[in-house]
Amino acid sequence: MALTTNDVRGIADYARIALTDEELQEMTSYLNDAIELLEPIRAYDLTGVEPTYHPIGDLSNVMSDDQTDANGRSLTLDVALRNAKSTQGRAFRVPSILGNEDQKWPKGA
Amino acid sequence: MRRLQEVLRDWEAVIGLEVHTELTTLQTKMFCDCRICHDDPPNTNVCPVCLGLPGALPVPNRRAIEYIVMAGLATNCHIQRHSSFYRKHYFYPDMSKNYQTTQGPVAFCMHGHLDLEVRGQGAQERPDATADKNEDGSYVAPIRILRIHMEEDAAKMVHVGGSEGRITSASESLIDYNRCGTPLIELVTEPDLRTPEEARLFMEKLRRTFMALGISDCSLESGSMRCDGNVSIRRRGTTGFGVKTEMKNLNSFKSLHDALAYEICRQAEVLEAGGAVRQETRHWEPSRRRTMVMRVKETADDYRMYPDPDLAPFDLSDEFVQQCRDRVPELPDARRDRYMAELGLSRKAAEQIAGDPATARFFEQAVRLAPRAASMVANVVVNMLPAMQAVTPEQTASIAELLAAEAITFAQAREVLGLADGTNEDPRRIVDERGLRQSTDADALAKTVDEVLERCPDQVRQYRDGNKKVVGFLVGQCMKASRGTGNPKLFNQLLLKRLST
Amino acid sequence: MEGVDQLSAASIVAGIVAGDFSATEVARASLAAIDAREPHVRAFLQVSADLALEAAAATDARRAAGEPLGPLAGVPVAFKDNLHLVGTRTTCASRMLQDYESPYTATCVQRLLDAGATPMGKTNMDEFAFGSSTENSAFCRTRNPWDVSRVPGGSSGGSAAAVAAGEVTLTLGSDTGGSIRQPASFCGVVGMKPTYGAVSRYGVVAFGSSLDQVGPFGRSVADVALAMNALVAPGKDKLDSTSQAVAPGFLDGLDVPLARMRVGVIPALMEHESLSAEVREGLTAASAALEGQGAQLVEVDLPHMAAAIAAYYVIGPCEAFSNLARFDGVRFGYQEPGCATLAEQTSWSRARGFGAEAKRRQLLGAYLLASGVYDAYYYPAQQVRTLIVSDYATAFRRCDALLLPTAPTTAWHLGEVSDPTQMYASDLFTISSNIAGNCGVSVPVGLGADTGMPLSAQLQGPAFDDAKLLRIARALERGVEAAGRYAPGTVARLHGVTKEEVWPA
Repeated sequence: MALTTNDVRGIADYARIALTDEELQEMTSYLNDAIELLEPIRAYDLTGVEPTYHPIGDLSNVMSDDQTDANGRSLTLDVALRNAKSTQGRAFRVPSILGNEDQKWPKGA
Repeated sequence: MRRLQEVLRDWEAVIGLEVHTELTTLQTKMFCDCRICHDDPPNTNVCPVCLGLPGALPVPNRRAIEYIVMAGLATNCHIQRHSSFYRKHYFYPDMSKNYQTTQGPVAFCMHGHLDLEVRGQGAQERPDATADKNEDGSYVAPIRILRIHMEEDAAKMVHVGGSEGRITSASESLIDYNRCGTPLIELVTEPDLRTPEEARLFMEKLRRTFMALGISDCSLESGSMRCDGNVSIRRRGTTGFGVKTEMKNLNSFKSLHDALAYEICRQAEVLEAGGAVRQETRHWEPSRRRTMVMRVKETADDYRMYPDPDLAPFDLSDEFVQQCRDRVPELPDARRDRYMAELGLSRKAAEQIAGDPATARFFEQAVRLAPRAASMVANVVVNMLPAMQAVTPEQTASIAELLAAEAITFAQAREVLGLADGTNEDPRRIVDERGLRQSTDADALAKTVDEVLERCPDQVRQYRDGNKKVVGFLVGQCMKASRGTGNPKLFNQLLLKRLST
Repeated sequence: MEGVDQLSAASIVAGIVAGDFSATEVARASLAAIDAREPHVRAFLQVSADLALEAAAATDARRAAGEPLGPLAGVPVAFKDNLHLVGTRTTCASRMLQDYESPYTATCVQRLLDAGATPMGKTNMDEFAFGSSTENSAFCRTRNPWDVSRVPGGSSGGSAAAVAAGEVTLTLGSDTGGSIRQPASFCGVVGMKPTYGAVSRYGVVAFGSSLDQVGPFGRSVADVALAMNALVAPGKDKLDSTSQAVAPGFLDGLDVPLARMRVGVIPALMEHESLSAEVREGLTAASAALEGQGAQLVEVDLPHMAAAIAAYYVIGPCEAFSNLARFDGVRFGYQEPGCATLAEQTSWSRARGFGAEAKRRQLLGAYLLASGVYDAYYYPAQQVRTLIVSDYATAFRRCDALLLPTAPTTAWHLGEVSDPTQMYASDLFTISSNIAGNCGVSVPVGLGADTGMPLSAQLQGPAFDDAKLLRIARALERGVEAAGRYAPGTVARLHGVTKEEVWPA
């Protein structure tokens, strides 16, 4: 079942990538081609095969000590803010969050 | 709107809670070694990892994993040996990577429960539990816990340019990443709660438990412990689920109770008027005592969750879990029951002391020094110490022993403690020095009794008219007249003797 | 100082230790080579002359003070521009990060610097490593030093070209699906993708976190081995949860042929329909060279290889979507000016900051991870990964390494391959080792009779058998040299450019 431009617009909205109409057409045809390339994945009988999410063998339980700045990575304010285009005082700045209706209320914890 | 108790006679509420607890007693964040301190100036405690800079990689904090396992053990959860972190995607700059590192279908802790003892006024909110209720109307509500998983907290955002700092009218927002990446455990209950009182008690019990574990400062006010409530209602006798709404901003036990109570009544009103409850998130406004719509959920959110490839999976060993188990202290309810059974404390005092780990530690130290005066120690701890600054367990034990021996009165005890407060003075020495021993000189006390009776003819008449309770007032007057030095039992005896003649 | 471009890393270190020349002289020679050849090659996005001269001076000062010198003392190195180095920008060849100043240094970069290497700059790449030709760079198209009308391969094309052109001695690249090995093959240099976890990913701008691995380019197996020693010392990086300790013994016995060396070949791949005639010829020569060095060739199979490319184009985009989500223009990166709302700013910053291929991969990933779709592609892709890991385990029971093509053809002309899905097919022979996480290396085996461009063979080894893989690679290199096909240390001749242009008077 091929993706429509509407589907692709929904995906792009979710991924926060604005697309022009022309890009939308191009992207739709690309995605359909790419998905076709993925079909072999469905050709195998994978019943009972466990997934391997991490190609790291038996490595597990990797943890660090609860020790402040043990790795000396703490950034000075200057370095932390240096690459930001909009800041105010010590903070990063973003424009209005709820500019229009379809904006979602902030989620998270 | 109808009152909650009326509504709950016709409708049954189905409530589930999601409780987020920041592990504030840790030194460092969940996946980096930045200090946990939200009060520092904005963006002080940040590094490439918690700022979500390109190329930065997470490493989990071992102590945080220990803490969540302890939380799971304390809430009767099954500790899942094998679990992984997942990425949960949503574009919002309070989560620096635009995904939150959290756990997938399998959390560290699964399928636990806490049993709530619901007593007193609150027990009346639940009419259906009548059959299981004890004589005093109390009942036990077993609340299942679906899971407790590990995740990271978001940054703090300040919305400026609008009124009241509210997001709806803000022209811009400022972001401080100090909090971003703070270890957070999220507990999700099954929808087993039936009344706002049960929800409140659950939250209180959970807070006591986490405080006892020492994993968080558990402050609802500052937000280190946060609770969202899901509530729907259904006609009594039916078993299906209604449409639920999600309640936010429940930042006190009272808010939790009142918001749920409001919402249950609101939903009942909507349904009784033939309307339909919409699936939405609502914000509790304590000052106006109502909930307001924040956001309507038309479709389920799709967070594109998948196992985080940057983090190795967990395969917790028996040894690791045992180490955590060894670190779980006696929990408040067990401790309360022990105080009642072994030390003969009243339920109220036992609960109050056992509910706060620092108080319980202090109490037990003092009891070790005055083992025969345990309930008097409890009395001092509960009734006198809150007004003091720095009384030691040794001083408390001394005072309790003096009280138990009826060597001093409560008023004298208070005075002595006030003098001993902040010093290393032994209260016995203060008592001796100041001659504060309780007076049992019957002649002297009889004189005081006579004076009081003379001053209070009205009460004497009332007593003779059959109001026997008034003797308490007269004992109080005698204590006052003796400036707290007289033995109240002797006063009582003397008064009764005089009044009956 | 002339001829530094011809020297091996070991000779540079030895020369500096012996006092034949100074690290500063080597750095200046490298800068001169960069000056002369960059106009034609364009391998670099930034040349860090100041950092280089500073580091070289420090090396010379250490020597003057009688302090021990590191194993890469004074060796000119360069880094793919997705590796952080304080004092440089890390652009990932993207408009998104055009002026992004590295706030910290990647572990792999730091380890080369700790070994005494001289940092010459940052090299071009396909934007965020999405591509196989380095044509997806937002800033310039790097040319193949063997023929400047051709591509250097990708995505680490700049790193391969800089070494091939003799501008620097060693470079680092990253390999998510072949991005080190394929450009190494196109440019006639040795390029290694170590076992996943052998080299820290901390400070490497992520593309596919379970696939990415940093590795070195050099003009000989010995140079690559020297770089590997520096990359794995001193052990596991505690900043990368997926990194593991590897002993820095890559030079030990490198020149000693492996006893009872067995090299596996997969007939279906050696004669794959996509292979050009000259690539086939190169593989035949590689087999012969290995046999000449005492290897026994055994037939093996990787039955699920065809599924690997599909699994790769599921896992890669999914991880890329999530890794690139953080580029929202708030804390760093391109920010679209004048947006009224946050959502608008995010969407337009990403639309204008990312190039076409970066957007394609992210949208593909966002689609594949959607609920309902996840079970149809992502989950089976990770199951396929299990099958591929097990295919390799079976194959490696019968052999020490596999001999494979690196890429189906030699380097193509700029602009010749434009269809993205067609471009993906060039990764066919490299992808499965990223899926399984084991190691691979591309070794030059001669020049093609038809194009005159470098031919290579790929060797793949079991996970954490990287040192043994390099010993076998060294045997191949020796055999190829013995056959008079290609000498280790060869510098590209910049076909298409007159000698006067390369070395102006």
